[in-house]
Amino acid sequence: MVGLFGTRLQKLEWGGWLAVGFAGAAMALGVTIAIGEMLNPGAYVNAQYTWLHLAASPGPFPNGLSLVAGTLVDPLSALMLLVVTVVGFLVMLYSIGYMHHDRGLPRYYAELSLFLAAMTGLVLSNNLLEFFLFWELVGVCSYFLIGFYYEKPSAASAAKEAFLVTRVGDVLFLLGIFIYFFHYATTGPNGGWAANGFVFTNGTTPFLPAGAIGSSTLLTIAGLLILGGAAGKSAQFPLHVWLPDAMEGPTTVSALIHAATMVAAGVYLLAVTSVFIGFTSTDQLAIVAIGGFTAFFAATMAVVHPDIKRVIAYSTISQLGYMVMAVGAGFAMVGLFHLFTHAFFKALLFLAAGSVIHAVGTQDLFKMGGLRKPMRVTAAAFAIGGLALAGIPPFAGFWSKDDILSAVYSQLGSHPLYWPFFLLAFAAVFLTAYYIFRAWFLAFSGDHPRDPSLPHAHEGPWVMQVPLVILSGMALIAGLFIFLPNFQGLLLHGDGVAGIPPVYGSTDLLLSGVSVGLGLAGIGLAYQLWGNGRVYVLPADSPWQSVRRLLLNRYYMKVAYDWIGLRAVYGISRGADFVDRYVIDGTVHGFERIFGSLSDRLRAMQSGVVSDYAAYVIAGLVGVFALLLLVAPYLLAHFGGT
Amino acid sequence: MDFTSFVGPFVPEILLLGGTLLIFLLDVLGLRRNEWLSTVAVTAVVLALLSVLGDLGFGPLSVLATLSPGQIDTLPAFGSAPLYHFTSLGLVFQAIFLLSALLVTLASASRPSDEPGAPIFYGLLLLATLGMLLVAVASDLIFLLLAIEVVSIPSYLLVGYRRRETRSMEAAMKFFIIGALSTVLSFYGASLLFGAYGTTNLFLIQADASTVGFPVLVLLGYGFLVAGLAFKVTLVPFHAWAVDVYDGAPSDVSAFLAGGTKKIGLFAFFLVFLGPVLLVNTAAAGQSPFGGGAVDLGPTLSITLGVLAVVTMTVGNVLALLQKEMKRMLAYSSISQAGYMLIGITIGTAPALTGATLQIFAHVLMKGGAFLVVAGVGALGIGPLIDDWKGFGVRRPLTGAAFALMLLSLAGVPLTVGFVSKFILFSAAVQAEGWFIWLAVAGLLNSALSVFYYARVLKVMYFDRPGPLETAEGTAAAASAPALGAGGLGYGRAVAIGLAAVLIVGVGLYPQPVVGAIQMAAQHFVSAGV
Repeated sequence: MVGLFGTRLQKLEWGGWLAVGFAGAAMALGVTIAIGEMLNPGAYVNAQYTWLHLAASPGPFPNGLSLVAGTLVDPLSALMLLVVTVVGFLVMLYSIGYMHHDRGLPRYYAELSLFLAAMTGLVLSNNLLEFFLFWELVGVCSYFLIGFYYEKPSAASAAKEAFLVTRVGDVLFLLGIFIYFFHYATTGPNGGWAANGFVFTNGTTPFLPAGAIGSSTLLTIAGLLILGGAAGKSAQFPLHVWLPDAMEGPTTVSALIHAATMVAAGVYLLAVTSVFIGFTSTDQLAIVAIGGFTAFFAATMAVVHPDIKRVIAYSTISQLGYMVMAVGAGFAMVGLFHLFTHAFFKALLFLAAGSVIHAVGTQDLFKMGGLRKPMRVTAAAFAIGGLALAGIPPFAGFWSKDDILSAVYSQLGSHPLYWPFFLLAFAAVFLTAYYIFRAWFLAFSGDHPRDPSLPHAHEGPWVMQVPLVILSGMALIAGLFIFLPNFQGLLLHGDGVAGIPPVYGSTDLLLSGVSVGLGLAGIGLAYQLWGNGRVYVLPADSPWQSVRRLLLNRYYMKVAYDWIGLRAVYGISRGADFVDRYVIDGTVHGFERIFGSLSDRLRAMQSGVVSDYAAYVIAGLVGVFALLLLVAPYLLAHFGGT
Repeated sequence: MDFTSFVGPFVPEILLLGGTLLIFLLDVLGLRRNEWLSTVAVTAVVLALLSVLGDLGFGPLSVLATLSPGQIDTLPAFGSAPLYHFTSLGLVFQAIFLLSALLVTLASASRPSDEPGAPIFYGLLLLATLGMLLVAVASDLIFLLLAIEVVSIPSYLLVGYRRRETRSMEAAMKFFIIGALSTVLSFYGASLLFGAYGTTNLFLIQADASTVGFPVLVLLGYGFLVAGLAFKVTLVPFHAWAVDVYDGAPSDVSAFLAGGTKKIGLFAFFLVFLGPVLLVNTAAAGQSPFGGGAVDLGPTLSITLGVLAVVTMTVGNVLALLQKEMKRMLAYSSISQAGYMLIGITIGTAPALTGATLQIFAHVLMKGGAFLVVAGVGALGIGPLIDDWKGFGVRRPLTGAAFALMLLSLAGVPLTVGFVSKFILFSAAVQAEGWFIWLAVAGLLNSALSVFYYARVLKVMYFDRPGPLETAEGTAAAASAPALGAGGLGYGRAVAIGLAAVLIVGVGLYPQPVVGAIQMAAQHFVSAGV
């Protein structure tokens, strides 16, 4: 799966075709594995190799400590593998056309291949440490790829921002792992979790006893830390700021990493944790709250944005919010089902947007217009993606989004606090339909571009169109997969973790009706305001202007973060500078003075430097005596024992 | 005691001595070609290494064993106050020492065949290695300190064996003066301990440690020993010589000093301090001269060593951050690594010793290997500054990759041996609980800090555009250097670098055999004492 290297040296086609070939092979394997999993629902393949084993000894790991490297194929990972390899291959193929004019292609393909390798590794990890390792690796790849146009200062700073913000999440994640390690070190069969390398499963059952989570404060904290890690990666509030700026990378990268796969890793982490470790009910509420709120919050920002890619980026954040909410409500597989359909239609939207950008050379929606005629394939693809996103049946998004809504709805009785977030998520359906069709009408309807200086648009080469067509097909039918018994088997996790909520009873029909109605209303409003080349200008004296400003400025959160960052970082560096100048230098000079007289005598015998060293030795000797005779007894007397 | 069982265990030492004598004999006979001399040296080292590995019961080599495998740690001591005693941890260290000697002699085989001073170089190197092997079996303070001198004196000479190079000569002088001072301190400490215990035998001291009535004498004695041995281990503030010496010495010698001789100090720490450190709360009962009740020798020493460890790794790392020259950066990094190793002794449990020993093993490969690369590329016209390495990774992919690997391992990146050793060391600190956890915290923070300067070198090597390729002197040097095989490195050096790189990754990927062997040895060492 990870044989995706060596593009660097291939001058032929800049290694692009080689990378496509490997990605294709990876896709073939991924699809095979997924089909195999479908045919044997609930099957596990768990191969591992004990990498390092430390013998038992007293302390927090009384049964020893192991590190293992292993592969786990279960329904969760099979589904993710399918998404990652298929979208990965299509994006790679599309890149051949889209990136054709760029420089540094070997680097691009190498990094993209490395990303795919890391992502498949992450999905197939069978233990938490390996998971974290690959998690970091995809983060690094994302950093490289966002900053692919590193000559552009905005791209470089966006890459840094993405890296730093996700690092915040990573640190939280790592702390969460630590808590789990110490808490569960001796829990479970074969001498405990630590002795077995923190693996997820023991054979075909979760290693840690399922459902035994209780309501421990410590585990709640650990769960919240894991949520923090997931929020960083999946751009959930309040760590969402990096994703819109990550759109500085090539559009292909946005489609693959920042729509379909890497950002979904956070959701996947939550799903894995909920299946194999479990969340406390407080954690669940927090996850639902973050997810539901983000779904709405991000959608509002997409409503006003003029940049085609950023609109889709906000939409990604919002859709990830839905997934997070589903996992939080206890329906990990429902969340992953939405992840699955979303990967296809969101990659489709990005690639269609990429096709537009490739054709007209701008990302500003207000300069475009009338692109329907010269770019029929792209226009149709974008429309299909939009319909899927808006949740209009029979497109993919309808099935999975509805699944989430009815899943959360089914839990409302037991958790009354879910209500507000459920309603927010519901409201976001309307906004979603509105903003995506606003983008469609702005770009494609009308007769001609609003900015006459745009170049004459034309479709991209076949390598760009084929992925669009395939993804359109997937956006159309991926949701219908749920009616395949075998696919249902994939979604039903072997451990009886609830997969699909009661299928389409009367309440569900009502819910679906309302959500489709909201979606259609959103599309209608978009048509009213922006259809046929119309441009809706908000009256300058409208009270909505302030809202618009607030949204355009992203609720001023980025400004706030920058301000905090500036203060904090500058503060720290100024402090460091002070320490360097006065404390360290001062100490050095102080030592010089202190031992000056001593070394003077020694200097008479030898060169200056050596005598200094000798002085250090003597000083060290004095220091050792001080430690032995004064400091250590003092510490021992006051803190006792070891 | 019959002759074979008396001499048998000393086969490695005898081999090295034989090699040394042969080399000096060849010198007298006027046969001074580098190839011949290096062949003798490499052969002696390889045979000695095989013999040690055989003694350790290492698979197919066990036929060579002169000690019965599995019983090394249960052999009766020679007499009631033995001068030397074989332990499996000692043998593990012998293997590590021989490995470092092997890397250096292999690499030096690539030197020009008519280079002046070659017999002195190889002869002294083997002699120093012999001393290192003796350190590993010492069980008496005086024997130990003498063995250390057997290493030190040849190493002073090694640093300065190129008599025309003033930098080397200056470094040798500094090394010698500070070394002499440290020796004085060590012996003075030993004499104080003799005064307190009436013996210099480590077994007897350990057995007596709880009964002695002169706590101040004991503490002063151990204090002097800490200071004296810290010179070898380059603990801050006893480190200052190391940077100048590593920088001034021929790079191959630096590799030997950083990779090899420095480690004898650590093993000496194992021998001298583990007894007292392990005897927590039982040692040196008596009133502290400064009030505060009884002195607990174990915890007192432990705290002292812990502070030294933290100070050493921090200062080493911070100074390494500021360096602009490659060799000086490596030297400071070497100092900080000594701090990590000291953690193991401070904690004194079997897992901690395992971690420290593995870290020492890793350091031989990483730092020794890195100095060998630096020595090799010096002849290719790459200057002393880190900035001179611009584009090196692209221009020389193989050597660059090996060097990058060594740096990554030093930084403790997973899948390298450097990660495994740090992981074991820090998890041992966490397992030991109490204040030892802070050692792990300090170690982790320092590792994070150290990544900066290693990553900077990687950045320079792979991402910076090469400026004007070589300095004028560099080009001249490259032009005058005889064309060597393996892309100008010479085959011997290429093999040595390759060996180090392969071991770094190999043990990193599949650590279990090495870790298992060290773990067992450490277990015996801790349970049996010295």
